[in-house]
Amino acid sequence: MAADMLTVKDLRVSVEDSEILHGVDISIGPGETHVLMGPNGAGKSTLGNALMGNPQYTVTGGEVRFHGEDLLEKSVNERAASGLFMSFQNPIEIPGISLENFMRSAIEQRSGTKLRLWDFRKQVRATLDTLQMEHSYAERDLNVGFSGGEKKKAEILQLLLLKPSLAILDETDSGLDVDAVKTVSRGIKEFQKDQEASLLVITHNAAILDALHVDKVHVLVNGRIVKEGGAELIKEIEENGFSAFEEAIA
Amino acid sequence: MTEKTVTVNTPLAKTFGWLHVNGTHLLAGESAPEKRLAIACGDEKILILNEAVRLKAELEDNAVFRLIQVRYAEEESRAVNDIQVTCGKDAVFEWYRVILGGRATYDNCSVTLAGAGSRFEANIGYRLEGEELMDMNCEAIHTGKKTESLIRASGVLFDRASKLLRGTIDLRRGCAGAVGNETEDVLLIDDTVRNRSVPVILCSEEDVVGNHGASIGRLDEDLLFYLQSRGIDNASATELMAKARVDAIIRRIPDGQLRAALLKED
Amino acid sequence: MSETKTHIEDVKRAFYDFRFEENDAYRVRSGLTPEIIKEISAEKKDPDWMRDFRLKSLEIFERTPMPDWGPSIEGLDMDNIVTYVRPNAERMNTRWEDVPDDIKDTFERLGIPQAERTSLAGVGAQYDSELVYHNVRKEVAAMGVVYTDIESALHGEYADMIRERFMHLVPPTDHKFAALHGAVWSGGSFVYVPPGISVEIPLQSYFRLNAPGAGQFEHTLIIVDEGADLHFIEGCSAPKYNVANLHAGCVELYVGKNAKLRYSTIENWSKNMYNLNTKRARVEEGGKIEWISGSFGSHVSYLYPMSVLKGAGARSEFTGVTFAGAGQNLDTGCKVVHGAPDTTSYVNTRSISKDGGISTFRSAIVVEPKAVNSRSSVSCQSLMVDDISRSDTIPAMDIRTAKADIGHEARIGRISDDAVFYLMSRGLSEDEARALIVSGFADNVSKELPLEYAVEMNNLIRIEMKGAIG
Repeated sequence: MAADMLTVKDLRVSVEDSEILHGVDISIGPGETHVLMGPNGAGKSTLGNALMGNPQYTVTGGEVRFHGEDLLEKSVNERAASGLFMSFQNPIEIPGISLENFMRSAIEQRSGTKLRLWDFRKQVRATLDTLQMEHSYAERDLNVGFSGGEKKKAEILQLLLLKPSLAILDETDSGLDVDAVKTVSRGIKEFQKDQEASLLVITHNAAILDALHVDKVHVLVNGRIVKEGGAELIKEIEENGFSAFEEAIA
Repeated sequence: MTEKTVTVNTPLAKTFGWLHVNGTHLLAGESAPEKRLAIACGDEKILILNEAVRLKAELEDNAVFRLIQVRYAEEESRAVNDIQVTCGKDAVFEWYRVILGGRATYDNCSVTLAGAGSRFEANIGYRLEGEELMDMNCEAIHTGKKTESLIRASGVLFDRASKLLRGTIDLRRGCAGAVGNETEDVLLIDDTVRNRSVPVILCSEEDVVGNHGASIGRLDEDLLFYLQSRGIDNASATELMAKARVDAIIRRIPDGQLRAALLKED
Repeated sequence: MSETKTHIEDVKRAFYDFRFEENDAYRVRSGLTPEIIKEISAEKKDPDWMRDFRLKSLEIFERTPMPDWGPSIEGLDMDNIVTYVRPNAERMNTRWEDVPDDIKDTFERLGIPQAERTSLAGVGAQYDSELVYHNVRKEVAAMGVVYTDIESALHGEYADMIRERFMHLVPPTDHKFAALHGAVWSGGSFVYVPPGISVEIPLQSYFRLNAPGAGQFEHTLIIVDEGADLHFIEGCSAPKYNVANLHAGCVELYVGKNAKLRYSTIENWSKNMYNLNTKRARVEEGGKIEWISGSFGSHVSYLYPMSVLKGAGARSEFTGVTFAGAGQNLDTGCKVVHGAPDTTSYVNTRSISKDGGISTFRSAIVVEPKAVNSRSSVSCQSLMVDDISRSDTIPAMDIRTAKADIGHEARIGRISDDAVFYLMSRGLSEDEARALIVSGFADNVSKELPLEYAVEMNNLIRIEMKGAIG
C-alpha cells in the first residue's frame, strides 16, 4: 500500500476557547476518495478549516503530515502551494478582481513564473467548457452577485485550475439546484481523472456521492470519529440517519 | 505680511468644528485654467483631462457629458480642481476621477440636478502612498423630480497618506421621486494612514430615497484566508486587493484605450 | 375619528403643560455678571474652589463664540435668562410628605412617586434650580451606593472625589454652553456605586423646569467603580411659556474597569426650550457605557452624548430616537473616541420629522492611532412623514489606524404605502396605521426601556402622529 498523502493524528481543535474536535485520526492515500459524514454541528467543517489553516480555528493538539511534511507549521498559502485545496461553504465576494485574474495571480505565485494572458485564457475557457459553464464567468468579479449555486461552481472551476493533490470539498453540494449539482459532479469526476489526486468530501447528505467512487467513509459525531468503513456505510446512513451513532456515544 | 489664503471644498452642511472638515484653507496659488462648456440638447461629449481645471458646464435637456480626470502617481504639484455642472431635463453627467498619486489633490465637484429625470454619477478611485493627500468635496443637489445620483468611491491608503471625502446628497423640496446613493469603500494598509469620511444626506422632500453605506478598514480576515488558501501570500494578497479597489473604478471608464492603459493588462 | 384626535391632544398636552404659579423663594436677576455668579455661589454655600471655578468659567463663556454649525439659537437672549431660581422648599427632602404641595402635585401628576414605589431603586426630583426630593431604597443604600445631590456631596466625605472629577470630562473650555454651565450650575445628582456592586433596579432623576424665562443647569456626576453595574434614568419636562427657557445641563459619567452603566433619557421639554446639553462618559478597560436616548421635546436641541473609550476593550452602545414636530429643530447624535486597543462602538439611531420639524443626526467617530483592532458600526435611519419637514444626516469619521473595521450606513425614506395599505386592510385607520409604523420604526429605543417608559414613549409618538394629521 502506498504511503499516505495525509495523516491526521489525534487532532484537537478549538473555536473561541471551546474544543470542537476531541482527537481525530484520518489517513488519506494518493488517488483515494474519502467521505466525512456527520450530523450538523459534529465538527466536519472544523476539520477542513483547521487543515487549511483558518485563523479562527485553533489547533490545540495532535499532528498533521501532508506529503511527509508538518502541515500545521505552514502558513495558509504555503499549505495551498504544497497541494492542499478547500472549497469554501461560503466563498468570499471580492469586488474588483475577476475570477480569471484571481486564478492567474494564484497560479503565478505558486509557480513563480508569469503566465501568458492568452495561454491562460485558453486554459480557463477549456475548463469552463468541461464544466459546461459560460465563458463570461471568467470576466465577472469573483463571487460578487453570484447565486449560491454559481459560487459553488466557481469553487469547482478553481479546483480544476489549481490542480491540488488533495481537495477538501466542504458541503459543496448543499443548497444546490439540479444544474449546479451536475456541474459539481462533472468537476469532481474530472478531478478524479488524475490518478494521484485525492479527495475528502465533507457532507451531511449522501445524494452527491451516488455518482462517485468512494474508498472510505468516516463518521464524525460530537467531534470524534465514531465509525469508519467502506462505501456501504453511505447506504446505511441514508437509511438510518446518524441517530444510531449518536446513541452509541450517548 | 501674511500670505493670502483661500478656502476650498466648503461643504453644504457644516459639522463639529474640531473635526476640521468644514472647508480647507489653502495658500492661494496659481489658479487652474477656467473652462466653460454648454452641451446642447441631445449631444454627447466625452472629455479626458489630465490636469486640474475650473469647469462650469451646462447640460441642456437630454445632453450627456462624461468627464474623465486621471491624476498620475508621478505628479508632484498641487492640484486644485473645481467642477460645477447643471443638468437639464434627462441630462446625464458622469464624472470619472482616478487619483493614482500626486502630492496633494483638492477636488470640488458640485452637480445640480435641476431638470426632471437628470442623473449624476461620480466614480472616484484612488491609491495614495507616502505623504500624499486627497481632499474632496462631492455634492449632488437634487432639485428636479425623479433625479438620480450615485457617488461611488473606492480606494486604498498606504504609508502616511491622508484622505478626506465629503460626499453630500441634498434632496431639496420639490425633487419628488429622487434617489440618491453613496457608497464608500476604503482599504487601509499601514497604521500611519488617516481616513476621514463625511457622508451627508440632507433631505427636505418626503417622496425620496437616500442611502449611504461605508466600509473602512483593513483587509478582512476571512478574505485574506480565502486568498491564502488559493496559494497567495500576504503581501501579494494585499497588493491584489489594493489594485482591485482602484480597478473597480477604472473598469467603469467609458474610454477603452485609457481604461486598458490604466488596468495595465498585458 | 377626528373626535378621538382632539380628545387625545387636549388631554395629553395638558398632561405636561400644567403649571402652578411660580412661588419661588429666591431668584437672581436675569443676565450674567461676576456679581450674579458670586451671588449664586454664596446662596449655594460653595466651597472657595467652586466659587473660583464659576468665575473662571464665566470668563471662558464671555470669550467663547457661539457654535457656527448647528441650528440657530438666535431666539435665545442670555440677558433675559434667569440662571438661578430656588423653589420655596427645603432642599433635599427625603420624605415625600415634606415636599411643598404645589411641587409635590407637579411630580405626582408626572407619575414620579408612583414609579418610585413600583420600579425604582431611588429617585431624585429637581424643581427649577434645586433638588427638592431625594430618596434611595434602604437595601440599595446598605450596599454602599450613594445617591445624593451634588451640593451636599461637595461638603461630605466624597468632596475630594467630586473635586477631582467635576467638569474634568467636560471642561468649561469645551464649548460656550459648557462654560455657562460651569458658571451657573445648580442641582443635579451625585451617584457612586462601589466596586463589584450590581444595582438591580434603576435609579431615576426627574427634572422639571417650572419658572418662565429661567435656565436649568443641573450637574450629574456618576461614578460606577470597578466591576459595578448601574442603570440610571433621566426624565425631563417643562410647561410651555411664551418666553425662551434654557437647559444647559452637564452629565459626567465615569465607568470603571469592567463596570457597566446604562444611561437612559426620555426628554420631553416644552417646545420653547433651548436644550444645549452636554453628556460625556469615560470608560476604562473592559467597561461598557450604554446610552438610550429619546428626544421628543424642546424648541432647539444640541445633544451628542460622547463616549471616550479610554481602556482596552471598552465598549459603547448608543441607541437613540428623535422626533421633531412643528417648530422643532432637534440636532442630536453622538460622538465616540476610540482611544485604546480592542474598543468597540455601536450606534443605532432613528429620526422622524413631521409638520415642518427639522431633525438632524450628527455624529463623530474618531479612532486614534493607538486604538488598534477597534470596531465601529453606525446605522442611522430617518423617516420623512410629510413634504414640509426636514431630515439631515451628518456623520463624520476620522480613522487613524489601519487596524480597524468601520462600518457606516444611513438610510432616509418615507412610510411605505404598501405597509399602510396592509395595516388598513386589517382594519386600522390610516392615522392609526401610520402611528403604528412610526412606533415600530422607533422600537430600537422602546425595546431597551423599562416597560413603563416604553409605554410613555409610544404614547408620545402616538400623540405627535395623531395630533398633527387632523
